[in-house]
Amino acid sequence: MLEALRALAWRETIRWFRSPFAVFASLIFPVMYLLLFGQAFNLGKLLGFIPGLTPTEAAMEAFRGAPNYFSYFSVGMVGFVAVTASLFLGANVIFDKRLGFVKKTTAAPVPRFTIFGSRLIAGAFRPVLLGFLVLGMAALLAYIPGFNGLTVNTQVTALGVVEIILALVSVSLAFSALFLAMGFLFESPEGYFGIVNLLNLPILFTSAALYPTTTMPPWLQTISAFNPITLAVNVMRLNLFASVSPVTGSDYYPYSALVYLGGSLAYSFGLVLLSFWIAQRGLRPR
Amino acid sequence: MPDPIVTENLVKVFPGDVRAVDDVSFHVREGEVFGFLGPNGAGKTTTVQVLTTLLTPSGGRAEVAGLDVRAHPDEVRRRVGLVFQESTSDDELTGRENLQLSGALYGLSPSETNRRTKDLLTRMHLDDAAERRVKTYSGGMRRRLELAAGILHSPHVLFMDEPTLGLDPQGRAGLWDYVRQLRKEMVLTVFVTTHYLDEADSMCDRIAIIDHGKIVAAGSPSELKEKIGGDLLTLVAGPDSADLTAVLQRIPGVLSVQRRDSEYRIKCRQGESLVPATVSAAASTGVALQSVSLKKPSLDEVFLEFTGREYRAEGSGPTDIDKTMRINQWRGRRR
Repeated sequence: MLEALRALAWRETIRWFRSPFAVFASLIFPVMYLLLFGQAFNLGKLLGFIPGLTPTEAAMEAFRGAPNYFSYFSVGMVGFVAVTASLFLGANVIFDKRLGFVKKTTAAPVPRFTIFGSRLIAGAFRPVLLGFLVLGMAALLAYIPGFNGLTVNTQVTALGVVEIILALVSVSLAFSALFLAMGFLFESPEGYFGIVNLLNLPILFTSAALYPTTTMPPWLQTISAFNPITLAVNVMRLNLFASVSPVTGSDYYPYSALVYLGGSLAYSFGLVLLSFWIAQRGLRPR
Repeated sequence: MPDPIVTENLVKVFPGDVRAVDDVSFHVREGEVFGFLGPNGAGKTTTVQVLTTLLTPSGGRAEVAGLDVRAHPDEVRRRVGLVFQESTSDDELTGRENLQLSGALYGLSPSETNRRTKDLLTRMHLDDAAERRVKTYSGGMRRRLELAAGILHSPHVLFMDEPTLGLDPQGRAGLWDYVRQLRKEMVLTVFVTTHYLDEADSMCDRIAIIDHGKIVAAGSPSELKEKIGGDLLTLVAGPDSADLTAVLQRIPGVLSVQRRDSEYRIKCRQGESLVPATVSAAASTGVALQSVSLKKPSLDEVFLEFTGREYRAEGSGPTDIDKTMRINQWRGRRR
């Protein structure tokens, strides 16, 4: 049983690494955002001069403790990547259905949960890996002249690192599970990509991935507060940036990182269970 | 030991009240190759999918390897091997890796899997290609790999759903050679669906023809051929020779004799063994024969006899592509 789970997860992973274009394709998106969008879209510069505040202080007030917009945004990209890297997972299920591989596994004497479980484990590994690549690359950019980069302005603790990893893993699991379930639910790529776009854009735009939620209209702020990407990136930002304003002395976030992490893990748990149920229904013989 | 495949009044109804399998009963005996033939959308693949637990029956009973498919799906899965019409191997993995994956799916230990993989790669003549990715394989190599994956876990019953679809004649003959070889070495019950009637004729011990979800004929290929009238022996005597009808009718095994001028059309059983008797009968009456020809009915005629001759553009195959492919193939056969 565990042998089947291991073998199927191994197959997913080896396939990914053996098709260089798949790895490349999932890297294009975050790399372009970091190298072009993040450099061009300098929201901090638009703030202008605020009397009595240094530019960094002004940025920290606007971006909830981050010393500049790029730092704020590059951490948000991790949540963004969790979604975009997971999109491929469900599409792969559809192609495997068409090619007969899903039939091969459903006709084999393996517990049904291994079929979904192996894909979830191998699938969530990708956004986790890409998330770390994004953080690492953003941090490196700070050392390249002419580029904006990720600047950490607080003491990162060991517990903080664990929290960041857990947040990354939970948001990756949540979206991998969701899109995998959609793959098991739909038979055609058209149907799949239709529903994926319907989910994808609202999830990204109502999150705190690209911009602070503080400037949103109140109704959107409420939605955003419950967005799984918002919860995960809040955990990361709270651990990488100053959490208390040097200007006003008040907290940038109403809750601690652990509270957001709890929310993120709960989401992850819930979405994995829901997706598992959907996938089991899709696999059940008619 | 019960028969490895038993169905009793098996029914499968799809939404929209489509009765894909409608009250089908048959037995497959230990060690035999059982052919399941029928036009597109007749219910062949649905039957295979019910027997291999990919679909649940709507009614009736189906037992495979002594186990009810509804009550013990996992045990049934463990005891059957599958070769589908499409390739289920992973293109990005090598031949060896694909077999290792199959071994893991069927619960073989890694050492057992490696031993059997090595053995099967050799037997299927895939040794040289073992470390190559399957996407570089030819159609015939892919089918051999599918066959290897299907029997890796030593199943009681091997199901093959149109295993030679799309293969060239060498590939088709090759695959059947491997199946023949395997059956010499182990007791293997094979359930095969095919559109190639010549394959069914040469490979199958028994055949069932299904149409509109119902079995319309069953028996050994020769029994079925006899059912539609037996062999046709045609004699052509010299012009103005004596009438042979009475003499020919007396020969044991002759069913009927029709005369048209100097041509005699003799319906009979096992025509080849009657050739000497007819020749000597003609000689004893002093009639010189100009030609003797024997036509044995082919399974094609049996098939058309039982499923009708009308062309079916409106199949109910799984997909349009599939349907087109099969229609083309069917056209090819009838040309």
